[in-house]
Amino acid sequence: MPDSATSPPAAGVIHDLGYRGYDGPRLGRGQIVRALTWHSFRSSFGIGRGVKGKIIPVLAFVAMCLPAFVNAFAVARGNPRLFGYDVYVPSLRVAVVTIFLAAQAPELVSRDLRNRVLPLYFCRPLRRGDYPLAKYLALTAALLLLIEIPLLILYVGTIASVKSGSAVWDQTKALIPGLGVGLMWAVLMAAIGLVLASLTGRRAYSTGIVAISCVLTFILSLLLIQAEGGTTAMSTGARIAGLFSPFTIMDGVRVWLGGNPQVGLVANPGRYGPLYGLTAVVLLAACLGGLAARYRKVSRS
Amino acid sequence: MPSTDPPAVIETWGLTKLYPGGVTALDGLTVDFAPGVTGLVGANGAGKSTLIKILLGLIRPTKGQAKVLGLQTGEKVRSLLGYMPEHDCLPADVTATEFVTHLGRISGLPPTVAKERAAESLRHVGLHEERYRLIGTYSTGMKLVGAPRLLLLDEPTNGLDPAGRTAMLELIARIGTEFGISIVVASHLLGEIERICDHLVAIDGGRLLRADTITSFTQVSQVLAVEVEEGLDRLQAELAARGLAVTSQARTLLVPLGGDDTYDVVRDCVAALSLPLCRLEQRRHQVEELFRDEEGVANA
Repeated sequence: MPDSATSPPAAGVIHDLGYRGYDGPRLGRGQIVRALTWHSFRSSFGIGRGVKGKIIPVLAFVAMCLPAFVNAFAVARGNPRLFGYDVYVPSLRVAVVTIFLAAQAPELVSRDLRNRVLPLYFCRPLRRGDYPLAKYLALTAALLLLIEIPLLILYVGTIASVKSGSAVWDQTKALIPGLGVGLMWAVLMAAIGLVLASLTGRRAYSTGIVAISCVLTFILSLLLIQAEGGTTAMSTGARIAGLFSPFTIMDGVRVWLGGNPQVGLVANPGRYGPLYGLTAVVLLAACLGGLAARYRKVSRS
Repeated sequence: MPSTDPPAVIETWGLTKLYPGGVTALDGLTVDFAPGVTGLVGANGAGKSTLIKILLGLIRPTKGQAKVLGLQTGEKVRSLLGYMPEHDCLPADVTATEFVTHLGRISGLPPTVAKERAAESLRHVGLHEERYRLIGTYSTGMKLVGAPRLLLLDEPTNGLDPAGRTAMLELIARIGTEFGISIVVASHLLGEIERICDHLVAIDGGRLLRADTITSFTQVSQVLAVEVEEGLDRLQAELAARGLAVTSQARTLLVPLGGDDTYDVVRDCVAALSLPLCRLEQRRHQVEELFRDEEGVANA
């Protein structure tokens, strides 16, 4: 439309409707952070993105829920509940959480770095820490859904089949620690995933960094545990061999807090239990600190 | 600035920014920006982007302070500003409406208002009307969605082809005049600034060179421009012989204007040599002289 360069702009074109400002109240910072969190939460499941962005979250969700459905169905036909609420299916959970994290943490942070949209956020009424906080809350919530929904399916399926009120209460008592473990997973893994993904704006690299970090540390811990005699061993080596991967650390914390040591990923940490708890807290603090530091630096560019 | 003028949209006092490594981006900059469209000009590295980032509160000044719309720089101000960084910042995999709505929410608009204004902003910038407008005007939509009172544009025509450039300049002029939003346009392209701005703030090496209305920059100067079809050298010699400090610039002779009799002297010389005179006028200042004089380099 080269004519428009010379003719006056008010030529009755469709977009010439006059500009409306906005003098109403502006939402506060808290609500802005909430809006950003909600937006990020949606995009962590690929909502608002193309079909491609939805494939991995949906597959992860289906894979995670499938055993719960199958077991709930089996319970309805008189079979026992196979999966504990606190461990669920340990290897599946590790695999699905790793894949979900490797795919979706970069979705939340790397693409903003890649597309250089951060100045657009920081030129608006956000503080430096608000952006990583919103991303963290969003990814934590997404992981929480991914981990807890199968437990709830299993729970609902089970109580639908039991006869007595006391059996329902037993199931509920078993479920609550399971939900707690899920929360721990979401809180810690979201922090780890985001800090690793925010290292680079190259989507493929950050996916690789997250996936490799999760997988390699997990294999390392498993090998060490095997070398020390497996998950039933009582030696000091076996007890602390789980300290080298976030998944085994969290499982150590679970056992330390009273979870069943017969199932799960690690040997019973015994008196090293507090060490697992401490490691988990330090790891979480380090990741959140690293994330905050990352965005203090990046916002200047 | 005299008190009769409307209040400045931006005021700075002794603004200084030292980057680590000893780079001085701003050096005691004190300047007011009047409402309307203001060009912020300076060579690359003169401190334009640094000034904009300080106004947005993205970086802190080492010394001095700045007020935007009468408020200290910071969060409150940011909700009233629209900003376009000098580089592209367009996520490829999100629809324009979705992204612009989201940014409106981040500017503090309630959800329904953000949706409305996103649609309107995109319509205002004519998105999808013409393909070449896509990149440039898309980001313009982002600035408008927050219902800003002041826009800060950092090199808005960077990376646009000539048609996109024209569309962008036209849009900036429209936003400034019809929408009643004040605009600061940082650019090193003086021609563009002259086309769309009412005011000009020129900085160089982090210091204020001059701040004034665009008309005062282009006022008539005390120099006569004389052009003849042929015999330029002979005319120059003749004028010099009659005591005028004449200089030549390309195909034009520049004669300092002493008074009305300077015209007569020029006329007489041309007549005496019977040369075909084709231009005799008082020269206008050009914005770029500002930098030429400063650096002593003629880079026309």
